[in-house]
Order: sequence, then structure tokens, then C-alpha cells
Amino acid sequence: MTNRRFAFLLLGSAAIAWPDARAAAQDASAPAPLPASVPALAPGGEDLSQLSIEELAQLPVRSASKREEPLSQAPTALYVITGDDIVNSAADSLPEALRLAPNLNVQQINGHEYAISARGFNSVETANKLLVLIDGRSIYSTLHSGVFWDLRTPMLEDIDQIEVISGPGGTLYGPNAVNGVINIATRDASETIGGLLRGTAGTFEQSAAARFGVALGGSGALRVYGNWFNFDDHQPAGIGPVGLRDRFHGWRAGFRSDFATERDHFTLQGDIFDNQVESLPNDGNRGQNVLGRWTRALSDNASFEVQAYYDNVDRRYLLSLDSLETVDLESQVNLHAGGHDLVLGGGLRTTRDQFINNLNAFALNPQSRRLWVYNGFIQDRFALTPTLSVIAGVKAEQTSFTGLQFLPNLRVAWHPTEQTLLWAAVSRAVRTPSRVDRQLEFRPLLTGGNFQSEKLVAFEAGYRGQPSRRTSLSVSIFYNRYDDIRTTEFQPGGGLPIQLMNGLEGHSYGVEAWSATQVTPWLRVNLGLSTLWKDFHFKPGHGDIALRDELGHDPDVQLFARAELNPIDRLRMSFSLRRIGALDDSAAEPEIGGYFEADANVNYRLTETLELYVAGNNLLHATHLESNDTSRVKLAERSVYVGARVRF
Amino acid sequence: MKAARLLLALALLNAAAPVRAQAPENAVKAAFLPRFARYVTWPTPPAAGAPFQLCVVGHDPFGPMLDRAASSELIDGHNVAVRRMNTADRAAGCQLAFVAGASPQDTTRLLLALRSQAILTITDARAGPQRGMIHFTIVAGRVRFFIDDAEAAGRGLSISSRLLALAAGVRARR
Repeated sequence: MTNRRFAFLLLGSAAIAWPDARAAAQDASAPAPLPASVPALAPGGEDLSQLSIEELAQLPVRSASKREEPLSQAPTALYVITGDDIVNSAADSLPEALRLAPNLNVQQINGHEYAISARGFNSVETANKLLVLIDGRSIYSTLHSGVFWDLRTPMLEDIDQIEVISGPGGTLYGPNAVNGVINIATRDASETIGGLLRGTAGTFEQSAAARFGVALGGSGALRVYGNWFNFDDHQPAGIGPVGLRDRFHGWRAGFRSDFATERDHFTLQGDIFDNQVESLPNDGNRGQNVLGRWTRALSDNASFEVQAYYDNVDRRYLLSLDSLETVDLESQVNLHAGGHDLVLGGGLRTTRDQFINNLNAFALNPQSRRLWVYNGFIQDRFALTPTLSVIAGVKAEQTSFTGLQFLPNLRVAWHPTEQTLLWAAVSRAVRTPSRVDRQLEFRPLLTGGNFQSEKLVAFEAGYRGQPSRRTSLSVSIFYNRYDDIRTTEFQPGGGLPIQLMNGLEGHSYGVEAWSATQVTPWLRVNLGLSTLWKDFHFKPGHGDIALRDELGHDPDVQLFARAELNPIDRLRMSFSLRRIGALDDSAAEPEIGGYFEADANVNYRLTETLELYVAGNNLLHATHLESNDTSRVKLAERSVYVGARVRF
Repeated sequence: MKAARLLLALALLNAAAPVRAQAPENAVKAAFLPRFARYVTWPTPPAAGAPFQLCVVGHDPFGPMLDRAASSELIDGHNVAVRRMNTADRAAGCQLAFVAGASPQDTTRLLLALRSQAILTITDARAGPQRGMIHFTIVAGRVRFFIDDAEAAGRGLSISSRLLALAAGVRARR
């Protein structure tokens, strides 16, 4: 392997935008698209009214295939993946589960790396405009504002739902919610009482997981879980690194406890994990986190919430060590009076990082640093008329690298009928500088500069509702104006050092739409679409020796279709097909054409406690390419596995 | 493909073994709701001949299933009548209230608005963590519930030991 290739690989570990060595909600609480209601079937001929209360308590039940929710009030492009969707899909990891959201683009890079973005800018190094939360804990890295998905290996059965918002998250979400928010919530411990065992084995992967939950008195519950997985080496892609292994295996364990009464809800949870990425011996990741949250209703018109967490991760990859320790404290107050829903709050986050590079001269200066982020926000939702609401909010945010920045947003929600929501929004969001943006050095060629926040003003509008009793539909359009997007440039006049600057501006627009139709009581069809057009140019006096790599590599169109079948009580199946368009703007990189792929899951309930399933990913081709990342990419492969799940 | 064959073989092998038909989760919850009235004593029970009032406050996930379940109950000469309402201010006269707001905060708001009355409040873990006196959850594929007997006692309600015995967990009265 040449030195140059190695330099690329290191950049992989630092995950920075240096492609060539030549050179944001609103009602987060209000869930999702309204499912068409399933008619209640008579349960096996049994008349429930004839059963004693003890017999009722012993009756096995079939969960509603979708949560019945009131139409979401959230005036955003919101897609909800339910825990049931995930368990009924072929997804075997969190990034694979995110393929269920039509408003995300998911690119598998290799066995452990994924690039995931909404509304463009996708690649490992440039998917840096997303806020990702797991139970309120922010998981994007302050190193480069991206997400290292190989640090996130939850037990999928614990996931209650994943809200995917494309577009700025608005006032209520934390920093970095520029192009989207992925808000992952695990089940309350009171919903996971009892035991669950799962094992899978297949052509490419194996897993084992166990969970056990108990009630703690009448107001509390606790669960503990452990999760082990192995994904084998992928084949080299031809355009990517040669001889780089990417087998990914490891474990994760943790607990969650919840205590609730009418007034109070207290949550304490934590995880610990260790995994190996077999690029070099000892490469891998480990970490721990613990989070506490207390929500208290002060009266029927006021409540407050306070949350604190600690999170520590260490990544070892190709002779570099990247560690990040985060302490976060946030609090908010909700007030409800006279047609107004007022939310105000604030947060404080501090991180201490260290980046040690034993491979080449790229370094962060200083090697270790503590950073601070402070924010305060206020938002009011008020009803102008019974069907028309206005949401106005502003967040003020300051970081160690920036002065005070204001992020306002204004939204209008109109409910002409119970089944219809029309909304429009304009919002401002910023991506504040990361450590790499400000302090990456390769002396004497590259030095840290004065990189400023990247800025977005987003105009959005959408419809969400039930055009018929059996169909729910969401359509949204957006027009995003970006300024100060990152470039890599020589000094004005052409001299050294090279610095990261804010030389690009432009706009993007697109449409996102999805529907769910309950065709018959046993067949549900989900369709999805997202499109993206980008138009960016250099600001006067600027250029980019990284060849506008910062804009990412995105498909112009994505189409999704998924059928969920439940023909008999014991049998559940899901079949999904996706068409991902060719990646755009690959000036310096190999072309990645559009492709069709399909996943399937067939689940058979053998007894009351045991279910067996067969699942397959990427069924249409033995291998295909999802990314043109020449420093990391390997082939995505067809994978078929069988699994068993026992609940007791 | 070997795996698929194995699954098929197992399925055939098992075809003779009885698997009890599963009842829809919401149908079982709907069957529980009017039944709770049998196991609770109110400080002021309904007048002779008047029905128990089972109120659905906020979102109704049950629909006609609940009306059917209620119509088959007769408790000490009282029928069970179902009333539906969006807000808590019309809840006077309810003995039981299933509470589900549009959001968790909304559920809390509705619960607290019912606090001044002797109403057995019931919530569902599927709708959020906020708990009434009875809180439905699923344990090993069955509908079960937590009981907050302390809160019930505070409103003058008495819950029978037969119902308490079925709870996944009980917050005991002090």
C-alpha cells in the first residue's frame, strides 16, 4: 500500500473533508403519519365478554401492526419508523433500519461504516448537517460533526420508534439540526417486562441478544440487555482500498429503568460497548454512557424537564486514536395557557476530545481540547383560529468557536379538517465549526484557519393527512439557501498555507413524499419518494482544491416500495424494493450508477413464545456499490440469514 | 435456501401443535375497561338504576369495540355507558376514564385536570409513560397493568385484592 493510499485511509479515520492529498421540531412528542385503522377482527371466535378477568389477563394478544395515533400536529417533514417496522424488516443494524425512511439516503461504505444524510451532502466526510439523538443523547461527533455509526449498535428489539425529520429541526432540538434530525427512542422499561432471546445466523452474519425486564413496585420497571454481533469481511470494490479488512464484531450491554406516576417520570439508563474493526489488530471502538431524565408536571398547565448525561467513546482505527468525552445538561419548561403552548429552555454541553495520529503529519492543534456549547430557546405555538396555528421560536447558540448565533423559525399549521394538515415553514439553521474545521493541520501545507459556521435558510411546505380511510399520505417540498459552505483553499493570491474556508454558496430543492395504504386487512403497502437538485457556486474570490467534495455525492431520485403481509395469524412478511439514483457530481471519483435492491423478511410464529424468521438483504445482486469513497468503500453484498426469537 | 427448507420443515412439524389464536391487543384492553368497575369501590357509587360512566378522554383507540364490551356488562344492576370527550372539563359524573392525550404532555395535562374527582384513571404504555391509576402494558404477549393503589386511595377509591393480584406491579397505599 502506498503512502498516499495510507494518507487517504488516515483521513478516513479522521473523517475529514480532504479528499485528495494533492491538495434541526416542533412537537417532537407528537408522532407520525396516521395509519389507516385496521378493523377489529373477532379473536378466534372467542367472545371476550364471557372470559373472567383472570382469563383476559392470560390471553395471548396480537399487537396492533401500527400504533394508532392521532394525526401528528408537527408541521415538519416527519417520517416515523416504528419498532414494529424494524422487527418486521430485514434490518440487522441501526443504519440498515434507517433505510426504511424515504427521506434519508443511506450509503453502506463497508462492514462498519455508513454515510447517512437527509437532503444532500452525503458521504462519510460530508454528512455533517444532521442531529442524531438516542433517548435524548446527541451522538454526532464534535470532531467533524458527522456520526460514526459503528459506535451505535443498539438491540433493535428495544427501539420504540425513530422519528426522521428532513429539514431544520427548528427550535426545540439541539445543535447541528441543519438538514435533518434522527430521533431514536427506546421503549419505556414498563413496556419490556419479561424476557426475550434472539439468535441469527446466515451467509454473512451472526447475532445473539438477550433482554430481561422486571417491574419495580407499581411505578417502576427495569430492563437489562446484552447484544453480540458479527459481520464478515466484505469483498474489495475495485475502486476502494486493497487488502483492507472490514470484519466488524463486538458486543453491547446496558439497562434502562423508568419510574412514573401521574406527575413524575424518571428515567435512568446506561450502556457499555466494545467492538472490533479488523483493519489492524486492536482497531475498534469502545464506550460507556449514562443518562438521567426527570419530567414533572407542576400543574395541569405547566411542566418541567431536566436531563443530564455522560458519554465517553474511544475509536482506534489505522494507528489513530480518537476519544471524546461529553457531559450535557439541559432543561425545559412547558407552559399551556389560553391557546398558547410555550416552551422555553436551555442547555449546556462540554466535550473533551483527543486525537492522536501515529500514521502521518495530519494533526489537530491542540491535540486535545475542551469545547463548550451553550444554548437557550423559546417557542410559542398559538392558535389563531381553531384550525390555524402559528409556531414561532428562536434559539440562541454559542460555542467555543463562534459568537452568539440566532436561529429563528416560523411555522404555520392549518387543519382544515381532522384528517388534513397543511403547513409551511421558514427557518434558519447553522452548522457550527467542528475541531477539524478549525484546527486541522498538516504543517507547513495546511494550518487551522478562521472557518465560520455554515448557514442555511430553509423554505418548506407540506401536506399530511388521510385522503381516504385506508391511506395516509405526506408530501413536502423544500427550497434550501446555503451560504459559507466549506472549501479547501490556498491563501488569496495562491500561497501557502492551505486553509479550510467558507467559499461555496448555493441552493437545493426537492420533493419528499410517502404513503401507507391498508389495501386489505392483511396487506399494507408503503410507497416513498425523495428527489434532490443542487446548484452551488463559488463566492467571489474563492475556489476549492477539494473539487467541491464538500457537497457530497447524492442520488437525484430515490424510490421505495414496501409490502407488509399478514395473510394468516402466524405469518408476517415484508418485501421492500428501492431504486437509488446515480450519485451526482463525482468529478474526481468513479461513477456510481443507479441501482435497484430488495430486502425481505418472512416471520413465522411457531408457538406462543417462539418465532422463526428468514431475512435477506440486497437480494437482487450478489454485490453492488453504494458509494464512490475510494479510501473506504467495499462491496455491499447479498446476505441471507435465519433467526429465532423467544419471548417469555 | 437450506434455512428456508428448515423453517418449512419446522412449520410442518408444528402444524399439529395448538397455538391459541391471538386476540387483538386493543380488543382485550377494551374488554378490560368496563370490567374494572366490578373491582373498584367508589366513595359515591352511581345512583340506583344509573349506569357506570366509562369515559374516553382524548384520543379513542378502541371505537365500537369498547361500546360492545361495555354493553355486555351488568354490575350490581348498573349498566356501563361509554362517553367520549376531548377535554377533561366535561368529566363530571365519570367513574372510569381512559386517558390518552395527543402527546405525553397532553396526557399529563388531562390526568391532572381529573385529579380533583374520584375517577379511576386508566392509561396505556403504548400512548406514553404517563400513568393513571391503572396503566396497561404488555408482559410476555399478554395485556397486563400496573396499579397505583396509593393514588387511588388518595381519591377515596378502593381497589379489590382480586384486581391487585393481576397487576404486574402495585404501588401500595401507605
